[in-house]
Amino acid sequence: MTDILAEAVGAGRVFGTDGSRVVALKHATCRIQRGDRIALVGPSGSGKSTLLHLLAGLDEPTSGTVRWPALGERETLRPSKVSFVFQTESLLAPLTVLENVEVPQLLIGSNPDEARNDAALILRALDLAELADKLPEEISGGQAQRAAVARSLITQPELILADEPTGQLDRHTAKHLLSLLLRRIKGTDTALVIATHDPFVASRMETQWAMDHGVLR
Amino acid sequence: MKTIGIWLSGLVRRRYGRMLPAVLGVSLTIALLSILGIFINASAATMTRRALGDVPIDWQIELTRGANMDSVVQQLNETVTMRAMDSVGYADVSGFTAKSGGNTLGSTTQTTGEGKVLGITPTYWTDFPGLLRPMLGAAAGILVAQQTAANLHVSVGDTLTITRMGLPAVIARIDGIVDLPQADALFQAIGVPPGAAPQAPPDNVLVVPMDVWHKWFDQQAVVRPGTVRTQLHVRLAHAFPDDPRDAYVYVQQLANKFEARVVGSAIVGDNLAARLDAVREDALYARVLFLFLGLPGAILAIILTFAVTATGGDRRRREQALLRVRGATPPMILRLESLEAIVVSFLAAILALIITLVVVSQMVTIPLATRQTATVVVVALVIGIGSALAAVIVPAWREARESSVRMGRARVGRGEAPFWERTWIDLILLAIAGLVYWRTAAAGYQIVLAPEGVAATSVSYGSFIAPLALWIGVGLLVTRIFRHGLARGRAFVSRVFKPLAGALSPIVAASVSRQARLITRGVVLVTLAFSFAVSTAVFNTTYNVQSRVDAALTNGSDVTVTGTTPYPAGQLLDTISKVPGVQAARAMIHRYAYVGNDLQDIYGINALNIGDAADLSNAFFANNNARLTMQKLAARPDGVLLSQETVNDFQLKLGDLVNLRLQNSKDHQYHPVPFHFIGVVREFSTAPKDSFILANEGYVASQTGEPAREVVLIRGNVPPAQLAKSIEPIAATLPGARVTDLGSVLKSISSSLTAVDLHGLTWIELSFAILLIAGASGLVLGLGLIERRRDFALLAAMGAKGRQLGAFLWTEGLIILVAGMGLGFATGLGIAKMLVKLLTGVFDPAPQSLAIPWVYLVVLVLAGTLSTVLAVLIAQRVTQQKSLEALRTI
Repeated sequence: MTDILAEAVGAGRVFGTDGSRVVALKHATCRIQRGDRIALVGPSGSGKSTLLHLLAGLDEPTSGTVRWPALGERETLRPSKVSFVFQTESLLAPLTVLENVEVPQLLIGSNPDEARNDAALILRALDLAELADKLPEEISGGQAQRAAVARSLITQPELILADEPTGQLDRHTAKHLLSLLLRRIKGTDTALVIATHDPFVASRMETQWAMDHGVLR
Repeated sequence: MKTIGIWLSGLVRRRYGRMLPAVLGVSLTIALLSILGIFINASAATMTRRALGDVPIDWQIELTRGANMDSVVQQLNETVTMRAMDSVGYADVSGFTAKSGGNTLGSTTQTTGEGKVLGITPTYWTDFPGLLRPMLGAAAGILVAQQTAANLHVSVGDTLTITRMGLPAVIARIDGIVDLPQADALFQAIGVPPGAAPQAPPDNVLVVPMDVWHKWFDQQAVVRPGTVRTQLHVRLAHAFPDDPRDAYVYVQQLANKFEARVVGSAIVGDNLAARLDAVREDALYARVLFLFLGLPGAILAIILTFAVTATGGDRRRREQALLRVRGATPPMILRLESLEAIVVSFLAAILALIITLVVVSQMVTIPLATRQTATVVVVALVIGIGSALAAVIVPAWREARESSVRMGRARVGRGEAPFWERTWIDLILLAIAGLVYWRTAAAGYQIVLAPEGVAATSVSYGSFIAPLALWIGVGLLVTRIFRHGLARGRAFVSRVFKPLAGALSPIVAASVSRQARLITRGVVLVTLAFSFAVSTAVFNTTYNVQSRVDAALTNGSDVTVTGTTPYPAGQLLDTISKVPGVQAARAMIHRYAYVGNDLQDIYGINALNIGDAADLSNAFFANNNARLTMQKLAARPDGVLLSQETVNDFQLKLGDLVNLRLQNSKDHQYHPVPFHFIGVVREFSTAPKDSFILANEGYVASQTGEPAREVVLIRGNVPPAQLAKSIEPIAATLPGARVTDLGSVLKSISSSLTAVDLHGLTWIELSFAILLIAGASGLVLGLGLIERRRDFALLAAMGAKGRQLGAFLWTEGLIILVAGMGLGFATGLGIAKMLVKLLTGVFDPAPQSLAIPWVYLVVLVLAGTLSTVLAVLIAQRVTQQKSLEALRTI
C-alpha cells in the first residue's frame, strides 16, 4: 500500500482567456505522504490557494496532473478522505454550529443519530460545546473558524488542507486554533497542509514549502 | 462622483445577470399597468363609438303646430354640427283598403285599422341608412310596409285606397314592399315620458315621397290638425367625449341648449342620449370589471417587483456592511445602493414601453386620445419605478441608519413577529371580507347604479373591499402559517422529504425551518399568483359560458329561421328537416298578445317535442323542472306559462283564468282568448328577456284562426355556421325570412352594447397571469437560490454530490410550488365565487355554478412546474459548476 496521499506533477492553472489571462500556478510538482505536516508559505497572490484547491480535488489543473494514489479517484475524495478548511467564514448560514459539523458525516450517509453524537463529541473536544445551538451569525469569527476546523475533522480524513485558517484571527486565537488542530491529529496518519503567510504557524509545521508568483520552490 | 462611476461600471459589467430578472419584474409591472389603463380607456371609447353608430336617428325634432321650420333649422345649425338633416312628414290615416283576386266573383276586400303615412325626401334613405330594407319592387315611390302588404294581400303593382281623416280617400299604386327594421325609433312618441303613450310601432304603414305626402295631407293638417306632424331627423357630427358617461352628459346638454333656443317651437327626441344612457351602466360595469379583475394583477406585479428586488437584499446588506467598515456615510451608501435600482428602472421602463406598444397596437384598433394614454403610461411608470426604487432604498436606508456592521452581515436571524402578525391583521382582513360580502349580498349585489335619465351614476366601490381584503388576508394568513409552520414543523418536513433527502433530511429540514422567511415569501407569491390567475380565468370562463347561454336563448337553437305570419318559416319545415346535418327541426308560433294593456310576445309550441330542437333548462321554469312543466302544458290545451312579473302584477294563482287579447286573422283586431295559468316561465328560446307568454300551438292557432308557425328551430350535428349555410338557400324562397346561427348571435352579443367585452381583458390578464406565475415560482425561487449559492457552493466543496445538493434545492422548490399552487387554487376559486356573486349584474342569465377552464388551469400548473424545475436545475448547475468561483466572489 502506497503512502502517497496526493501528488502533483508539473501542475499548472491558468484563469481567464487571452485578454484577461492570469497564470496562478506554474508547473508545480509536489507529493504529500501520510502523517506529513506541511506549511505552504508565501505572500498573497503567490498561488497557495490554487495549489491547495488542486490537491483537494476542488479544481482541475490546466496543465500537468494531480493524482491521489492512496486515496483513489477525485470524485471520491471529499468528504471522507480529504477535508478542506477555507480562509473565510465557511459555515452554512441556516444551520447551527452542531448541524454544520455533522453535515460531512451525513453526506457520507452515516446514521443521523450517530452523526449528531460524533459532532457533539468533537465540539466538546474543541471547547465549542456551548456554541452548538448558535447560528453562524451569532458567533465570532474565531469561533466560526474553530467550528470549521471541527467540521473538517469529523470524518477523520486522511488529508486536511487548510487555506490560511488563521489569516483573519488575532495572534492569540490563531495560536489556540492551531494547537487544537495539531492536538487533534497528533498520533494519527492524517496529513496536514496549511497555507499561511504567518511565520509562527509555519514554524509549527515539520516541512515548509515556499511559493512565489505561482512557482513552488 | 468617481466612486459612483466605479460602482456603476461594476454594476453594469459584473451584476448584469442579477439585474436582468429585476428588469423583467419591473417591466412586467409597468407594462401590465399601462396596458390595463389604456385598455380601460379604449373600452370606454369603443362603447361610446358603438353606441353612437347603433343609433338610427340621433335626434328626432318634432315641430309644434305653427312653428317656423326655417327658424328651427337656423337655430339647429347654430347649435350643433350636423352630418345630415331631413324633414319627415307623419300623417295618421283611418286605414287602408285593397281588393285581392281582381274583379272576379271570388275577389275579396281587405281593410286595415288605423295606419300611418310617412312622407320622406329623396335623400332620406341615404342619409339614414338601415331604416328601410327593400324587399320587393322599387326602393322609391309608393312603398308599403311588409306587414301591411300581408294584411292587405297586396303586392307590387297593386292599388290600395288610403282613407284620410276628414277628407276623401286617395288611391295609390304600389311601387315596392319594404321592411322597416327600426320602426320602433321611427314611430316613437316624442316629448312624452316613457310609458305615457303607446310605443309599439303601427301595423299599417305607407311610405311616400314628400311632394306626394304634402299633396295628400296638407289639407288634412288643416281639417284635423292633430293628425299631421312634421319632424326633422338629424344625424350629428360625432365629436363627443370617449367615455359614455361624459358623452351622455354632453349630448344632453346640447339638446337642452337647442330646446332653450327654440323654446315652444320644437321638442327634441334625443335618441343619442337615450342610447348612451343605456350604455353608461355597461361602461361602469366595464370599469368595475377591469378594476376587480385587473387590479389584483397590478398589485401582484408590484409585490413581485419588491420580491425580485429584495432577492438582492442579503448581498446589499453585506456590501453595505463592507462600505461602512471602510468609512462610507449613510448618504453615500444610499446613493450607491440607489444606482442599481435606477439602472434597473431605466432599462425596465424602456422594455415596458416596447411591450405596451406591441400589445396595444395588436389589441386596440381605435385611435387613442394622446393625453389620456400619456397619463396612463406616466402613472404606470411612476408606480413601477417607484416600487423598484422603494424596494431597494427603503431597506438600505433602514440598514444604514439602524444596523450595526455585524447585523448587516446577518442573513438568517431569529427576528420577532412583524406588526401585522402581532395585531392579527390577517384575520381582521378576512373578517372584513366576510362582512362586506355579506352586506353587499344583503343589498342584492347592486354595485353599479346608473338610473335611467339621471346624469349622476355611482359605483359601490366599497364592495371592492371584500375580494381585496380576502386576497390580502389570505396572503398574510399564509405568511403566518408558513413562517411558524416551517419554523416549528421541522420534524414533519424531515419526514415528508425523507424519500428525497435520505440521511440528509434532518439537515434539509433544519435549513428549511431557518429559511422560513424566504420560503414563505415564495409560497405567498405563488399563492397570490395562482389565486389571481385562477379567479380571473374562472370568472372569465363563467362569463363566456353565460354569453353562450345568452346566445343560445337569443337564437333559440343551433340555427333559427324566422319568417312572418304571411310567410311563415313553418312552411319550410319538411324541406329543412331533410337537409343533411339537421338532427331535429321544430316549428313554433310567434305572435303578440295583450296582457291587460301590456303587449307581450306569445309563443305557441308543441310542448312534447319542442325540446328536440330547443334547449330546455330546468332553470327556465320556476318549479325547476322543464320536463314536468312541458308535460303539464301539453296536458292542458288552454294552459299558459307566464313570467313572474306578470304573475305579480295581476296577482295570479295557479289555475286562474287569464284572458289574453290576440289578433284574429279574420278582422286583424285583438279579441279576448281565455287561458288557464299553469306555471311560471323565466327564459325560453328566442324569447325576450322581459315578460313573454308560452302556450300550446294548437290552441293559439285555433283561437286566432291563423295556423301559421313563424319560427323554425333547428338542432344540427354539424357546426351551426355550416348548417346555416345549407339552410339559407331554402329560406331565400320565403320573402323576409331570416336565418341566424348560434355563432353569429354569440359574436353580436359579445360585442354588443349591452354586454361588456371581456375578450381583450381576458387575453391580457391570462397572459400576464402565466408570466406572473412563472415569475413568482421560477424567478423568485431561482434568484433566491442563486443569492444563497455560497451555501450550496460550500456544500459542493464539502463533497455533496449532485443528488444531495438537489435535496436542498428541490425541497425548497417543491414546498413553494405545491403549497403555493394548492392554496392559490383554493383561494382563486373562493375569490371567483365571490366575484361572480358580487358582479351578478354583468351576467344575463345569472350562472348557477362556476365554469372551470380546465385546459387553462393545466397550462397554469405546467407553467408553474416548468419554471420551478428550470429554476432548480439552473441553480443546481450554477452551484456545481461554479462552486469555487462562488466561494471566491461572495
